[in-house]
Amino acid sequence: MAINISNQKNRDAVVAFEAVMPVRNVHFVDEKGNAVETRRLLKADIDHDLDALIKKRKTMSALSKALIKDNPEIDIEEFGMFLTDTSKVYVSKKGIIHLVDEVEVVSNPDGSLRERRSRKKEPQNINTDIPLRWTGKFIKKEEAAHRFVFTHKRQLIHVNGLTFDFLYDMAKELHERNSFLIVRGGEKGDRPIVMHRGGLQYNAFLEGRIKGDEYLLILQLSNIELKRPKELSGES
Amino acid sequence: MPRSLTLSLDGEEFSVQLKKIDRNDLYGSVEIEAFDEKGNPAQLLVLAADGKTLLSKGGTALATLDAKGNSVERNTLKPVNTEGEDIETVESSFGKSNTLKLAEINDYLSQIVKSIYILEPVENGDIKFLLDHLSSGLVYSFPFSYRGGTEYDNAFIIGNKADAFMVIGKEARFQFAKLNQVAQLDSIEDEEISGDDIDFDLL
Repeated sequence: MAINISNQKNRDAVVAFEAVMPVRNVHFVDEKGNAVETRRLLKADIDHDLDALIKKRKTMSALSKALIKDNPEIDIEEFGMFLTDTSKVYVSKKGIIHLVDEVEVVSNPDGSLRERRSRKKEPQNINTDIPLRWTGKFIKKEEAAHRFVFTHKRQLIHVNGLTFDFLYDMAKELHERNSFLIVRGGEKGDRPIVMHRGGLQYNAFLEGRIKGDEYLLILQLSNIELKRPKELSGES
Repeated sequence: MPRSLTLSLDGEEFSVQLKKIDRNDLYGSVEIEAFDEKGNPAQLLVLAADGKTLLSKGGTALATLDAKGNSVERNTLKPVNTEGEDIETVESSFGKSNTLKLAEINDYLSQIVKSIYILEPVENGDIKFLLDHLSSGLVYSFPFSYRGGTEYDNAFIIGNKADAFMVIGKEARFQFAKLNQVAQLDSIEDEEISGDDIDFDLL
């Protein structure tokens, strides 16, 4: 994945933007000590799942008898098939549909309805002609850590010698300031980050660390504050 | 009922109740309803690679396979460390005292967050001692496992001046970048080809 980002001098460059995985210290092996793998299998298609089976038998007791006697939940041709290259599709009573009207049902934290609105899918804004902006707005790391939860992280990595210097200088400035830089997208540089079309919006903060001639540049993404939900207020 | 956890800080033991919080608790939630062009409700399903098999949410299962592709019972699997050595399972953090250690802010910021809890005092208890420590901006950590298992997660105790929170995560695998470690961009290169390069046999 790539990201187009500008630096403190308003120069922009496209660099690599990589997901960060957690450190895994534990692996599972079989009885002989050999490595194992996990695969996704088909358990039941929609003609053999619980809803379809109940529809055919009307009552749970009739269904339980059928489950014991005939195994109607198992399609012998498909059961256990490895699932690869799956896709998500909308299905109505007409079958698979391509023209879909999506409505967002927005609820308040207490579950009450706030509004219904047509779904608007924001395009991704991390790798477009308009680079993510170096806003010049900094927040001390300690303050950010106590106010927001950074639920997602991505690492920015150079793609050639020029972009090494470009990213190293950004990391160095942030390291020396001990601060996060607020990064925004869009033409006016005032939009939160969207990583794929219709995806969640995140407030993005750039963190830089350096160690000798090596750097670490992390885009810290947050969509939740560190604060007490209203429904829990007054309980303590 | 929320579970209570015993913490130990500077030699003082106290209990807290954990209440899990997420984005929906703070800001509400958004659900998507879909309709076809005639207004009939539609549902999002998984289409298998054969282009015809449709599955709902519960229609899949995970299987563990050995190198030959044979199914392996999960209860026969053995957890090992990165060197292939047996590891001891860890016990649940509930029902024992958990000693808080001072943590670095960079370590906290390096976590891939799994869950967030707000800490409340247990009945007739208080957590003023903890809040006093957190008010100066200190962050504490301890190894945490909800049910016990193969390894601990990292629990960080952090405050926002009014409340105490426990953020559970796993350390992210960051790697400092050097000049000679260049990443490749996923891109499609422009390429000039001749008509002879196009295979029509597939059409």
